[in-house]
Parts: sequence; structure tokens; C-alpha cells
Amino acid sequence: MSDVVLTKVVKAYGATAVIHGVDLHIKSGEFCVFVGPSGCGKSTLLRMIAGLEGITDGEIRIGDKVVNDLPPRERDIAMVFQDYALYPHKTVFENMAFGLRLRKRPENEIQQRVKEAAAILRIEHLLDRKPGQLSGGQRQRVAMGRAIVRNPKAFLFDEPLSNLDALLRSEMRVEINKLHKRLKNTVIYVTHDQVEAMTLADKIVVLSAGHIIQVGPPDEIYNRPAHKFVAGFTGSPPMNFLDCTIADGGGAIELAGGVKLAVPEARRATCAAQAGKKLTFGIRPENVLANPAPAADVAAVAAQVQLTEPLGAETLGLLRVGDGELTGRFSPEAGLRAGAPLAAGFEMRKFHLFDPESGAAIRGAGW
Amino acid sequence: MGASVTATTGAKRYKLSKLEKSERLLGIALLTPAALLLLAVVVYPIVELLINSLYSYRLTRPGYRFIGLENYAYALFEDDRFWHATLNTVIFAVVTVPGALVVGLGLALLANQPFKVKWPVRLGLLLPWALPLVFAGLIFRWFFEYRSGIVNAAFEFVGLPPQNWITDPNLAFFAVCVAIVWKSSSFMALILLAGLQTIPKSLYEAAEVDGASKFQQFVEITLPMLKPAIVVALIFRTITAIQTFDIPYAMTNGGPGNATETMAMYIHKTTIDFLDLGYGSALAAIMFVVSAIATSVYLRHTRRDTGRN
Ligand SMILES: Nc1ncnc2c1ncn2[C@@H]1O[C@H](COP(=O)(O)OP(=O)(O)OP(=O)(O)O)[C@@H](O)[C@H]1O
Ligand SMILES: [Mg+2]
Repeated sequence: MSDVVLTKVVKAYGATAVIHGVDLHIKSGEFCVFVGPSGCGKSTLLRMIAGLEGITDGEIRIGDKVVNDLPPRERDIAMVFQDYALYPHKTVFENMAFGLRLRKRPENEIQQRVKEAAAILRIEHLLDRKPGQLSGGQRQRVAMGRAIVRNPKAFLFDEPLSNLDALLRSEMRVEINKLHKRLKNTVIYVTHDQVEAMTLADKIVVLSAGHIIQVGPPDEIYNRPAHKFVAGFTGSPPMNFLDCTIADGGGAIELAGGVKLAVPEARRATCAAQAGKKLTFGIRPENVLANPAPAADVAAVAAQVQLTEPLGAETLGLLRVGDGELTGRFSPEAGLRAGAPLAAGFEMRKFHLFDPESGAAIRGAGW
Repeated sequence: MGASVTATTGAKRYKLSKLEKSERLLGIALLTPAALLLLAVVVYPIVELLINSLYSYRLTRPGYRFIGLENYAYALFEDDRFWHATLNTVIFAVVTVPGALVVGLGLALLANQPFKVKWPVRLGLLLPWALPLVFAGLIFRWFFEYRSGIVNAAFEFVGLPPQNWITDPNLAFFAVCVAIVWKSSSFMALILLAGLQTIPKSLYEAAEVDGASKFQQFVEITLPMLKPAIVVALIFRTITAIQTFDIPYAMTNGGPGNATETMAMYIHKTTIDFLDLGYGSALAAIMFVVSAIATSVYLRHTRRDTGRN
């Protein structure tokens, strides 16, 4: 069992706390991704789990051991660094073998395990080279190879793909995914790329300013964001937010500028309870439709196209609705033209409501 | 595309354009003053020295007589004092270069620690380096003074008999070595500290996660990563060690007897005290050759280094 359990973990530098009491249970074999904006404490949290940073307060367990005061080498973890941190003076083979040599494994075992890892990562032909003679992607593989030869309780990755170009990044993302399916070790992975988070994770941990905002599987994070921050952080482009109030006793949502959207039957009760308050209406770009056929759950809205961004497979359109602006994601066939009016529609089974002050999502059962 | 391929593969050399020609002229014009200055202050004295070394030229006797290589022959085959000074120089180098390396490495590692207040450490590191050599020599002469020196005071404090640091040949040699190591290790430390600071922190973290103890990190990461800096520091130090002069001059003036006399001091005595300019020039030329050999070793090393990248 190699669960990683954080209990009320606090990190402070001097008087400034940067991690404010984090509770988290990462199950054995789980692929857990930390996401959040720059400076929110992802690396700090990861490095505390690795033992590279001390813990100001709280407790960290790996497997059944409390590791608070254990140095990294006694925690049975392996880490892949953002800059790979390969030993420049050692060959690829020796880079990968270093951890085993320090643990005094017999030579034939070292040979076998390094060769195995190299085969998995397809770097067998590079074993005699020095890191300086490798491309970025190859270095990345070596760094992962160094981690997997030791078969540790947990792999820790700190933005391992951020130094690669876009193409190589998506390739390595698939590799990492395959690797995890094959090895089934616990993985804790830091990124600020939400695509990596969505595609790799069993569990996403969204952090902001040293607090956990939401923990959940990717589809829950995406479809049921607990907080405006989470909604605004996921999806590209992220969710649209518009000021609104509840009208008609829960039967409609009124956007700034007098645009009224009919609320589906199932959501009315929850909306009615918010009547009279200022709220934030949220809708994802893919739930904004162009020229929709009339349907019960689609609210027709008159929009003005401000700007179009053709991306090839789809076209993003910046629309003006009432007094607000929002982005929609359309098929290129929709024929959007900047400056022209558009008969748009919102899929009203997919909207979100947030408290504008706390940012917390307002959600009925089954939303 | 096609045009540039034929252009680069063709053996024909291109004529300089007007603009390039005028730039080249300007370049030459700008370099001329510096070249003339170098000629005046470097080349001229060396040539003058080489010429003098072929003459019998003593200020105590009249005459300026060409004697070919006689001065060199005397130095190499007959002058025991010269050989003794050479041997001293070599021993100083062999003792103080590694000594300064070890002490300098220790200082560099210390200065590289994340201290809250950095300036006392940095100052301590810089002070011996900034101090004039003669000063350092005088300070250590006082330290090793028989009656009032701090070293003998310390000896007495722990119940040991005071020693004749300056007047006993072996002890004097040792005392001079200590002073040289103290003075030169701070230069070593500065070079090594610069080297240490280029080692990425993440390498140590990776090694720590891999399971390396602090000592293993030092052996497996620090030393190999520091090797280029160590080599450069060693060669610099060796070249200056060949020229050792000020510290033994201030501490012992080469004494007792000739026990701590170096090549540079012997040259100085020959020319300034004995006023034998011809012979002194020949000795200086020999030392120049030794320095030049050491320098070329250094140059070859750096050339190989840049070639690798
Ligand atoms: N040694 C330190 N002393 C003081 N504050 C620090 C120290 N290290 C990190 N911090 C602060 O802790 C916070 C979290 O830093 P951390 O590196 O964990 O962010 P991150 O989420 O990994 O960001 P990024 O995505 O940019 O890597 C930041 O506000 C940072 O300024
Ligand atoms: Mg980070």
C-alpha cells in the first residue's frame, strides 16, 4: 500500500504561510494532478511530499509511515524535475543506475533494471551518451528512466513537460499515460497546463493561493466546478461569466442589459431560492450555440459578433449579449462574421451559478 | 536556396565589399595605439632583457662585453645557489598549490552555505586576497616571531616549548608555506566559489532523492562538476607559485642562509644587490621560459575545453 496522505499540512516561510492547512488522500496507484496558477504552492506541496522542503505543521504519510522528519532518500519516492536535473558528467546508463548503486544493489540487477527501463522508454541506444548529447525529449525520457528503475512507492513530477515544444509535449503526455497504466505506481504530478491535468489525472487537485479549492476526477472538475475559480481555470477558452439576477420567481435568469433566459423546470426551485440576489451566470463556450433549432432547453439570445478566431477545426467567436461579452465555440460552417448579428442560444441544462462574493458554486441536486 | 548552396560549396573567395573594406581599415586604425603600447611595455623590455642576458654587464665593473650563452651555462651547470633556489621554488609550489586548493575548497564550500548574513563570510574570503603580498608576509612574520608572536603564545598556552620559526631553516620553510597558503587560498576559494555557484541546485535535490548522503553528494556531484574550475585554479596558482617572491622576502628575506630563497628572490638579489645585470637577465630569461611552459599547459587546457563545447 502506498497511499499518500496529507493532514493539515502547513508551510510557512518566516511569517508568511504559503500552504494553509492542506488535507488530501491520494490512493495507492492513483494518478493525482496538482493544478493552479503560478505561485499557488503546487511545487511547494510536491517538494514537501518529496522531503526537499520541511513541513511547518501537519503530517504527511507515505504508505504506513509518517515521513515528516525523514530525508528524501528514506521516503522511497522518485522525482522528475522540471529541468530534468540529469548528472551532466555521468552517462545515461549511470544516471539511471545511480540510485541503485547508492543502494548497493548487485551489478547484474542494476544492469537488468536499467536495460528494462531503457527498453520501456525506448532509449536503449542512448545509454552510453552524456546528457549534453541528448535532445530535450530524450533527456525527459532519461529523467523518467531514472525514476522508474527504482520502482518507488510514488513518482513525483514537477512540470516535467513544460520545457518541451507543443508537439513533443502531447507525445510525452501519451507516453506518461501509458507508463502509468503499465507500472501502476502512485503518481503525483504538478502542472499548470489544464490539458495535461484533464488527460492524465484520475484525480485533480485545484489549488489557489495555498488552499485546495476542489478535489475530484477530471469530468467532475470540468462539469461540476465547486468554485468560480475552478470553472475559470478549466477549459480553453475557460467558462464565460456574466452578471445576472433571478427573475419570474425562478423561471428566468436576467442578464445585465435585460436579456432573459428561461430556466428549465428541473432547475427552477434552486434558482427561486436565490431570487433578489446578485449572481454570476456561467456558461462554457461549447454550450453557446449558433443558429440553434428551437428546443425546450435552449434559450435563444440575440448576439452581435465582435471578433472571430478561426482555429481550423472550430471557430471561436467573441459575442456581445446584452451588456456583457462572452466567447462561443462554433463549427466553421456556422458562418460567423465579425460585425454581423447572430441568433445565438444557450444550452440551459448546462449553465452554472456562482455567488459573486465568495465565488462558491450554487448548485441543485443533479445539476 | 540553390544559389546559397553553390555559393558555399564554391571554392572561390569573395572580394570584400567597399563597406567591409572601410570597416577593416577602421578596425586596424583603432587597434594600432593598443598594439604600439603593448610593443613598448611588453615586447621591448623582454627583448632588452634577452639581449642583456648575452652580455657581461655588471655595474660594479666597467664594460659591457658580449659573452654569448656563458651566463646561461654558468646558471645551469655551475651555480649551486641557483639550483637551490629553483628547488625551493618547486617545493613551495608542490606544497602550497595543493595546500591552497584544499583550504580554498573548504572556504568556498563554507562561503557557499546559505548564511543569513553573507557579508562577514565574503569579507573574510576577500580580505587575504585584497591584502598586498608584502603585508601578508609582514603579518605572518609577526605571527611567527619568537618572543611576541601569536604562534609561540599559542604553543605556550597549550604547554609546548616556543619554536625558532624564523631562524630554524625547516621551521622557516614551513612558516613561509603557511603564509603562502593563507594568502593564496582565498584566490582559490573565489574561483571555486564561482564554480560552485554554477552547479544547479536541482542536481543535489535529484541526488538526495536518489539516496545520496551529503558526503556522497560532494563526491558524486560537487567534485566532478567543479573539476574545470579546480584545474583552472591549480594552473593559475602554479604559475604564480613559480614567481613566489614577496612573502618569503618580507618574512625571512630568503633566510636563514638560503633556506627559503626562491628563483625570483635570487634574481632580485643578483640584479639589485649584486648589480650583475647580465647574469640576472639570464636567470630571468630561464624563469620566463619555465613560466611560459606552465602558461602553455594552461592555454592548451583551456583550448581543449572550448573545443569540446
Ligand atoms: N524559499 C522561499 N521563501 C519564501 N517564499 C517562497 C519560497 N519558495 C516559494 N515561496 C513562495 O511560495 C509560494 C508558492 O510557490 P511555488 O513554487 O510552490 O508555486 P507554484 O505553484 O509551483 O508556481 P509555478 O507554477 O510558478 O511553479 C509562492 O508565492 C512563492 O513566492
Ligand atoms: Mg512550480
